[in-house]
Amino acid sequence: MIWKRQIPILIVAVVGTLTLFGWFIEEPNIEAFVNDDATQWYDILASFAIILGGLNLIKLQMQKVAKQRIGWQYSLVAIGGFIFAITAGFIIKGVDDSVALWGAHVTTEGSMFKWMFDYMFAPMSATMFSLLAFFVASASFRAFRIRNFEATLLLVAGIIIMIGRVPLGSVISSWFVMYLLVLIAGIGVNTWKKDKMITFGTVAVGLAAVTIAGMMMGWPVNEPGIFYLPVLQEWIYYYPNVAGARAIMIGIGLGIFATSIRYILGIEKSYIGE
Amino acid sequence: MKDKQFWLVLGGITLAFLIYWFAGHPFFNHDRIVMFIAIVAMSATLLYFIRMAERGEDFYLRPIPGLKAVEEAVGRSTEMGKPVLYVPGIMDMDQVETVAGVIVLGHVAKMTARYETSLNVPVSRSIVMKAAREACRESYMVEGRPDMFNEDMVHYLTDDQFAYAAGVNGIMVREKPAACLYMGKFYAESLILAETGNSIGAIQIAGTASQAQIPFFVTACDYTLIGEEFFAASAYLSKKPELIGGVKGQDMIKAAVLTLIVVSVILRILYETWGIGFDIIKLLTVQ
Repeated sequence: MIWKRQIPILIVAVVGTLTLFGWFIEEPNIEAFVNDDATQWYDILASFAIILGGLNLIKLQMQKVAKQRIGWQYSLVAIGGFIFAITAGFIIKGVDDSVALWGAHVTTEGSMFKWMFDYMFAPMSATMFSLLAFFVASASFRAFRIRNFEATLLLVAGIIIMIGRVPLGSVISSWFVMYLLVLIAGIGVNTWKKDKMITFGTVAVGLAAVTIAGMMMGWPVNEPGIFYLPVLQEWIYYYPNVAGARAIMIGIGLGIFATSIRYILGIEKSYIGE
Repeated sequence: MKDKQFWLVLGGITLAFLIYWFAGHPFFNHDRIVMFIAIVAMSATLLYFIRMAERGEDFYLRPIPGLKAVEEAVGRSTEMGKPVLYVPGIMDMDQVETVAGVIVLGHVAKMTARYETSLNVPVSRSIVMKAAREACRESYMVEGRPDMFNEDMVHYLTDDQFAYAAGVNGIMVREKPAACLYMGKFYAESLILAETGNSIGAIQIAGTASQAQIPFFVTACDYTLIGEEFFAASAYLSKKPELIGGVKGQDMIKAAVLTLIVVSVILRILYETWGIGFDIIKLLTVQ
């Protein structure tokens, strides 16, 4: 039991304390441990562990083929890919020793591994990544559906950010936006008062005020700045957005700190089982 | 730890530190003294509330819908006779979020053991696979169902981000799990996973501290644990007093940080406007 409980907790406590307080110590050996050695140890451990992962993958895929479970044909492709990658990485280089030695061959043009990477792995990864564009569209559609005040706010902010960040946004005059706002205000007043005369009065006064102000200022495209989309999007992006993000970030930082302290002090032991 | 032992250990550490300090504190980086004091103060606050909780103090935790929904999701899977899919992120155990994800997995595994529902945990790192297996094995043992535990319920797919996303999507489309839980560190694959989960009609719960991925999860999932809620999940699900005390301590630190922000803003205004000789920014900037 001591090997499964106390020793792991002790290792976490010692290494965790050393890493945490090593940041305050100006001693080359401790600094080297905190900045380089600790992470290198982890990398070495992870390199050995990959064998476990690879064996588990191949075992499950072979079982799937042997028992002909749903989608076993895909497992054949997985096994084939696995064998091909091992062959290209460790058995057949595809280039002479004069071109590249073992190890360096994985990034050398003409080698089997590089061919596999360039013509199989990279296009397939790019395919998965490009799916994101369609998923963003479908997710945005759902998020932007007007259901409540928050969704409407999200929609308006999203439209302003999107238009304000493309060249089209900089040619839309702030006066056009102001006219638009007057009309939207008219819709609001009409919904609130339900009186045609009041709505007409509000819209007429608003349009007249914008027109008079425009004539007096000479209709500059980017003034008043608050109604110019590139300026407005920048304000939304750098102020309300950053404020919200920082609030979340403070919470995340505290969460990480509290969790780390719990591990170091051995209060949280779930990661090795209760 | 009993009170006497606790104070003995704490007194010993304090005494050792005082001796080190008055001996000229060799090798200490003086530029980072503020950060050092902050860490000590925050650790002390956490410890104080953990001790209070251990001594029986009752703390109120606001209900988090996402955590309440975890049991509901497992129950739904049981009713539908479909598996629960748990994705512990794409990073290794050196990330706190992955560790938090594995801890939550332990609680989810207890529920699946209780409800006799199958659990599928595809992972992208071998070390995570080992840790997750241990967490699941332990949970099934605790629930008295070691017979239901199968090592292969936690299985390795690949280290590569998009290959992993493709593999998990394949599992979703073929097996159609009734509940998909994403708890850990995610990058661009978050939306690919969550949208596929949405398309198969699964109840989805996400928890992450990856700030850029939170909006995607909020959009595509039924419930999302944002940042600190995710780290508090273990305390909520286990209901252990020492963990709940930690969450309370965290809230107290947050209140202190907010106060510090307000005070700093006022001091900065005074510095800029009336030129008081104290620059708070210089003091608080991490060197």
